[in-house]
Amino acid sequence: MRDDYTSELGHGLKWAYLLGIVGALLAPVFYVIYISFNEFGFGARIYVFTVDWYRVVLGDKMLVASLEWTIYLALAAVATAVPMGLLSAKLYKKTRYKVAIVTLMLAPLFVPADIMASSLLVFFRHLNGIFELIGEALGWAWLTHWFELGFFTALVGQILYTLPYAFVVILITMSRYHPQQTEAARSCGATAWQAFWHVEFPQIRAGVFSACAFVVILSFNEATRTALLKGGFDTFSNVLVSQMLNVGMSEESYAMAGIMSIGAMTVIGSILIYTLVRSERLEREARAKAEPVMST
Amino acid sequence: MSEDIATTVLQSAGGGRDVPASPSPWRRWLGENGLQKWAFYVPVIFLVLFFVLPMATTVVWSVFERTQFWMEPGFTFFAYENFFTSARAENYVYSMIHSAWAVVISFALGFPIAVFVRRRVPRAAQHRVILLFILPFMISELVRVFAMRPILGRYGVLNSLFMDIGLIDEPITAILFSPLGVVIGDVVSFLPFMVFAGFLAMEAVQPYVFEVCDDLGARTLRTFRDIIVPLAAPGIFAGGIFIFVNGLGVALVPIILGGPGAVNAGLIVNQAIVALDFPLAMAISTIMIATLVALLYIGHRLFDLTKILEPIN
Amino acid sequence: MSAQPDTAVEVDGLSKNYGPVAALSSVSFSIESGQYFVLLGPSGGGKTTLLRLIGGFIRPSRGRVLLHGRDVGDEPPNRRPTSMVFQSYALFPHMSVERNVAYGLKLRKMAAPEIGRRVARMLELVGLAGYEARMPHELSGGQQQRVQLARSLVLESDILLLDEPLASLDAKLRKDMCLELKHIQEKVGITFIHVTHNQEEAMTIADRIAIIADGRLVEEGTARDVYERPRRRFTAEFIGDNNLLHGTVSAIAAEPGGRVKVDLGYAEVAVDATVAEGTDVAAGDAVSLSVRSELVELVAPGGAEDGARQTVPATYLEEVYLGLTTSHLVRLPDGSEVAVRRISEGGDAAPPAPGQEVRIGWKTPSARLHVE
Repeated sequence: MRDDYTSELGHGLKWAYLLGIVGALLAPVFYVIYISFNEFGFGARIYVFTVDWYRVVLGDKMLVASLEWTIYLALAAVATAVPMGLLSAKLYKKTRYKVAIVTLMLAPLFVPADIMASSLLVFFRHLNGIFELIGEALGWAWLTHWFELGFFTALVGQILYTLPYAFVVILITMSRYHPQQTEAARSCGATAWQAFWHVEFPQIRAGVFSACAFVVILSFNEATRTALLKGGFDTFSNVLVSQMLNVGMSEESYAMAGIMSIGAMTVIGSILIYTLVRSERLEREARAKAEPVMST
Repeated sequence: MSEDIATTVLQSAGGGRDVPASPSPWRRWLGENGLQKWAFYVPVIFLVLFFVLPMATTVVWSVFERTQFWMEPGFTFFAYENFFTSARAENYVYSMIHSAWAVVISFALGFPIAVFVRRRVPRAAQHRVILLFILPFMISELVRVFAMRPILGRYGVLNSLFMDIGLIDEPITAILFSPLGVVIGDVVSFLPFMVFAGFLAMEAVQPYVFEVCDDLGARTLRTFRDIIVPLAAPGIFAGGIFIFVNGLGVALVPIILGGPGAVNAGLIVNQAIVALDFPLAMAISTIMIATLVALLYIGHRLFDLTKILEPIN
Repeated sequence: MSAQPDTAVEVDGLSKNYGPVAALSSVSFSIESGQYFVLLGPSGGGKTTLLRLIGGFIRPSRGRVLLHGRDVGDEPPNRRPTSMVFQSYALFPHMSVERNVAYGLKLRKMAAPEIGRRVARMLELVGLAGYEARMPHELSGGQQQRVQLARSLVLESDILLLDEPLASLDAKLRKDMCLELKHIQEKVGITFIHVTHNQEEAMTIADRIAIIADGRLVEEGTARDVYERPRRRFTAEFIGDNNLLHGTVSAIAAEPGGRVKVDLGYAEVAVDATVAEGTDVAAGDAVSLSVRSELVELVAPGGAEDGARQTVPATYLEEVYLGLTTSHLVRLPDGSEVAVRRISEGGDAAPPAPGQEVRIGWKTPSARLHVE
């Protein structure tokens, strides 16, 4: 807390430093966006505003197809990683083996993308081989394609990447929930599921939705794991990486980077604004609570 | 009025609600202590099958024999020999040094922010200030690293700026496509993590600690060194490890910003996969995972990392 | 073990272990229908565990719970004829008072007008008519607990469990709510099982009190029983303001209703054998005596020792003024301290000087004998 002896100047400088760091992290991205709207691209002496590069990107059939794959993957990741994050947060609350659970849930964060992706790649190829062998031996053709590289394996990579974040976000929201309310609901005659759905979920909804947004954005941004595990299709970020490496920095790749960052900023920005407005409202309510109507 | 209640309640007393004497078998099987209970373990099972198992088996694949396009069962240390006798081992060590620099710089830049927010910002607003760092973190690392090129490059923003104000005559080319570029890229990518980890870690430092320090007349640096860092050590260490292993293992940064001399473990693995030398990739992954586990073990022995969890409980 | 028809709750050999820690070990008792039953004990003694076992929120490690004679061991809370009132934070914060109270009835798929009628009646019973539209955070602590009570009572369960329902209220409010709880229980006539660590609260409301400590049932009886005639030493220490004297049995009277002689080391006192009921003692046993501080007196020097009164020597220490009562502290020759409590009266005679030798005494039937 600030006290009366804190130097105003020092305090201001510290704030300036904090905002400066945020700015320094964001400035290059804004610069990329700025360039992406220049008709002549990076390094040109003149700046003419245009949205042509975006038109080119969105007119490219291959790019639009990759965007579709990206969206499918993101939706599938939300549909799997968020419920799993919720289940694991509930498990964490219940279990006596909290350290073991949390270590397992957060461990994927500490394995870098390329290491995890190549390990999974080799693992899936072996698994596929084993399933093919079993399938042939038993004559069950349906077994043979389970772990072929493709949408499913790419999804596994994405779940491993996004699940820790979903878990943490939901767990933090849950820590404000009082579990007696679940017991009270049970005592009113609710089943475990009814108690969750009627009482707990409405209170952790904000966290679950934030987790959804996180997972969508992380999935959208992810490139390395998908690149190795995807099999036959390309996602948007895959295309951007290969363009950057093969063609170099074209105007198109600036526009693609622009699309990725504007998309992410829109989603996160709206969540931030929603959160701030909501906490403002909660604070007002808390103030109202501080002066309750005392009649009993 | 209340008499009515008394009678209705009295009537029902003693009889019990209309509940079957014991649940039917299928109900027990599907019920809270049956299948429903196991549903909570689905994520755990998933992680064991698709994370723990693949990571653990890298060591098995790493001793397999290499074939032209794949590998076959065998037992050889050829991949490890290949790693240790080539420039790869040297590169691995260099990338550890670069990564360590990224950790130190991120700590120096990021941790004071966490301390400042905990110490000087009203409690209710603290989370909101930290949320500011979500924004850069949520923009694709790919884009953020990529964006360093037009900033740091030969014709980039920094060089034009410096030349315009007459600071330099020739553009500086040593930044991009060099280890320095990689360190900058790592810091840009992972700095928000140091802020988050530091913020969580500072939960272990109660506000009264600052007041006690002020009261005892400790100066800022002494407070920082003697009080804050030891108390927040587990969180700082976790954040540091995170940046270290990602600096070591994320190939994207050296791919985009590194030159010939700036290769990290992730990139070596990546190149081995592209060259279809799967046992080599698995050997390096194994070494990388071993490095991570060793670091975590040391950190746990030194600081008891389970302390980090206290704020969530 | 078949339960009587009027037995609401029967607990039989109930134990709960958390790993190596025994939260509750082999507790058995039964509660009659329509009683206000209080589980009293120090924090961490296992009383809340016991309540939660009855409510079905946790599973017993061993033993059975019978509600109206039915073994409910496999039933989750929503299938038991119980409902529970929690310490605090248990109102659904996103629902209004009315919706909170109506929640259980809605789950039972009752028709809306009927729900409305019952909720209104119940809110009136707990004195909250007119508060239907309020949200929980707009209520005071006492009102919140009333809503909880209404939410549980409206279900018309046979057994209401209350887990420290008044703990979060301040002392004055707690007193008022206590009496009101008692009156509401008398009106609805169902069984209330109430957990508290507050002795006064327990005395005010209970038909019967069970004292739970260290995971065991120490003693059970009416408020008067446990206050005036504690059988166990723990009860004497926990309830009321008892003085404990330690000694060994020196002689036992042969005739029934006779006296037991206890050697305190510095004096020998007699205890009525009737008050030692249920405690089997033999000469040479280590025992302790409990005498409530309001029953001990400072004896005028030279007062004769007759059979009706026991006296021992002591050193006067100091006077502590407590408002309603004044405590005189004295030290016995063995070093232990004894409090002598008197109603404060204006113009009390000046107390003895600190360090002065005095005698203290009590009427023989006031002392209770406990086996160590």
